[in-house]
Amino acid sequence: MSDSVMKTAPSSLPVESPRQTPALLPSRIILKLANSRELMLFVLIVLLAGSMAIFYPNNFPTSYNISAVLLNAAQNGILVTGMMLLMIAGGFDLSVGSTLALAGVWAGVVVGWWGWPAEAGLAVGLVVGALAGLVNGLIVTRLGINALIATLATMTIFRGLTYLTAGTGVTPIGNDFKAYGQSVMFGIQMPFWVMLAVVAVGAWSVARTRYFRQFYFIGGNTRAAKLSGIRVEQLTTVGFILMGVLAGLAGVLGASRLNSAVVSAGIGVELSVITATVLGGASLKGGEGTVIGGVLGVLFIALVQNAMIINGVGIYWQNIIIGLVLLLAVSLDRFKQAHRA
Amino acid sequence: MAPRLEARSITKRFPGVHALDRVSITVEPGEVHALLGENGAGKSTLGKIIGGIYDRDEGEILYDGRPLGAISEPEAGALGIAIVHQEGSLVRQLTIADNVFAGRQPTGLFNRVNEKAMVAKTAELMHQLGVDIDPRRRVGELSSAQAQVVEIAKALSQDVRLLILDEPTAALTLTETDRLFDVIRRLTKAGVSVIYVSHRMAEIFTICDRVSVLKDGRLTGVRRVAETSTDELIRLMVGREVHFARETTSRNAGKVRLKVERLSAKPFVTNASFEVRTGEIVCLAGLVGSGRSETCEALFGARPRDGGAVQVDGKAVNFKGPWDAMAAGIGMVPEDRKDAGLFLSMDIARNISATVLSKVSSAWLVSESSAEALANRFIQDLRIATPSAKRAVGDLSGGNQQKVLLAKWLATEPHILIVDEPTRGVDVGARAEIYRIMRELAAKGMALLVVSSDLPEVLTLADRIVVMADGRTVGEMPGEGATEEAVLRLATQFTSLQTPAVQAGAHP
Repeated sequence: MSDSVMKTAPSSLPVESPRQTPALLPSRIILKLANSRELMLFVLIVLLAGSMAIFYPNNFPTSYNISAVLLNAAQNGILVTGMMLLMIAGGFDLSVGSTLALAGVWAGVVVGWWGWPAEAGLAVGLVVGALAGLVNGLIVTRLGINALIATLATMTIFRGLTYLTAGTGVTPIGNDFKAYGQSVMFGIQMPFWVMLAVVAVGAWSVARTRYFRQFYFIGGNTRAAKLSGIRVEQLTTVGFILMGVLAGLAGVLGASRLNSAVVSAGIGVELSVITATVLGGASLKGGEGTVIGGVLGVLFIALVQNAMIINGVGIYWQNIIIGLVLLLAVSLDRFKQAHRA
Repeated sequence: MAPRLEARSITKRFPGVHALDRVSITVEPGEVHALLGENGAGKSTLGKIIGGIYDRDEGEILYDGRPLGAISEPEAGALGIAIVHQEGSLVRQLTIADNVFAGRQPTGLFNRVNEKAMVAKTAELMHQLGVDIDPRRRVGELSSAQAQVVEIAKALSQDVRLLILDEPTAALTLTETDRLFDVIRRLTKAGVSVIYVSHRMAEIFTICDRVSVLKDGRLTGVRRVAETSTDELIRLMVGREVHFARETTSRNAGKVRLKVERLSAKPFVTNASFEVRTGEIVCLAGLVGSGRSETCEALFGARPRDGGAVQVDGKAVNFKGPWDAMAAGIGMVPEDRKDAGLFLSMDIARNISATVLSKVSSAWLVSESSAEALANRFIQDLRIATPSAKRAVGDLSGGNQQKVLLAKWLATEPHILIVDEPTRGVDVGARAEIYRIMRELAAKGMALLVVSSDLPEVLTLADRIVVMADGRTVGEMPGEGATEEAVLRLATQFTSLQTPAVQAGAHP
């Protein structure tokens, strides 16, 4: 009897779901790339960097330009690590730009105005970020308000608090403080190395540790995760707090690099970070994505921006190109689903 | 007179599968024609082709003697062919009336929607179906049974000559099913033909005239219902005879593992008391909405309880969440495997590891290889039909999904396992397997609490049957020698017309 079970069961799988299979020839190559977003981005980055190096040998592959690109990617690289974690769990955070500014301004205030030591300023920035994340997390998990609405509201609130704290910003903050953002290692300023550390730790723990594996289950099916004994509310709150801390970190590093806490810092950054996260393989439904993918997304966008500036096509084009690449990446997903028969 | 519908040699292929292979059926005017088959046999596909939702690859369809080309669902509707979907085609945010007349609202001057006429017409339709709900209520507020009735009303709102019902009673209570049958009888008396897609034997014998049986996309037989038997139909469905006989060897139930006293989780559960012993299968029986699933959730910590006591091995417990229940050795296989049980886009290994992450990890790190080894063990033990543990669960058949869900909980090695609807949407073969697995677990000393709406299943499995009605436990009987009538009598005797939960305006 068990034999016939084995036979009938698999043959009865996809009968009820209609899937179309256009049998195209180049589909195999596309499928391979579509199957790994990381691989696709890596190939794109190599192609783009390679062709830039060939066509603009005097402008692109210079240590000055490369270090500028990497430094520019530092802020979003830090943020994308947290955003990827949240999106894996099916959430996201629109308030990161405001949190970043709020943390930077508070670091500036305690160091520049109140004369606290630089380290205390850094710590205050991180704590402010953590508190902002906690607020987001509690609103989402305790009040049950959708993450989009909740963080849309706190985005405005945190920005308002930033202006309220220091209407014109704090400039300069202090020499000890600026050393953290401006000191140079192997030709690249500190924020890049911090980003590298954050990404390395983040990528490893999200991919491998038991604790962060739970976030994939939450995003994959929240109800099933809860019934599987996963503490969904607690972990979601932790996700928001981590996002807040990372936004705080990006904020203090930015303030330190400029030796100035700017109230308008990070405006619009949430959308470019979410763009990079989705480009890197996250889905709005949650349950998928890797930190490495997100970082490659950030690097790709930074590279496109750099290329546009160098070849003088005009920086207005960069948004169009990034939008098109995002659409292309997501339509590859559709293609992948259609071929999963 | 030409038959109402004549489908000849219908063939339909989906990638990798021959969903229908040269299937022919005829439906006479005024006939109720059943399409019977296991999940995936192609019965829904055939219904959808006739209803204009899918296009056929080959074959022809004659409708009242005239050939029917490739048509869309609205075109089919205009011709008098209406299909009632298995899964909701309703817009939850809109009112019942809006849904019933979606896209074809009666209009007045300047194309203004004639709200009054629409509401009145809907009320009349709903009344015919025996459900008097205000048509101005939103569909989102309705229970799934009520929504199903709206779905049927929507199909009947046009002049129907051929009605296709796809598993119409899946969400209905017994009373609602009876009302639906009344409507079907009235329609057929007026000459309407009905195609009734189902795998519920009892309904086919109650309401249908003829039955076409499908297996793996092929027609295996057409019978007059009056001249056939359940055994013959099952043979046609599976190509073999399946018996779900009770296991006669008596097991020795041991000490009390789980004791529930006056458990309350309002509004769904008001007063539930029962116990489960080691090595025993206790079935919670009752009508839909009697609070069985909610009782399980409350004792598993997944639903706040507001009274009563739960004891595990004689110790009082109060779970803050499922994680506490799991720590106490309880597992729960939920009713809705797609919504509450599985991570459909993830592979089998990952699904099974969800409850036992610490078991498949060394120190902090998840070990993919030990997760896979664990999955492979269950694939073998439970005979899950899959090429590998890396297959996405969403790609498996219903029966195999259910086994993965079971494995996910067996991996926690629980002492007490709650199984809510163990075989819903599972084909006959896999069903027998799941019964075997559950019996083996009990024989090994596990205490099993099983919720089932399928009475034959209850009678097959249960050592003891606890009957619930209106959120209370109303009676208990040994499984040996119990009859469907006895269980139903208890369940209905104590069921008021409106459950307390419905009165309180809550929806399960």
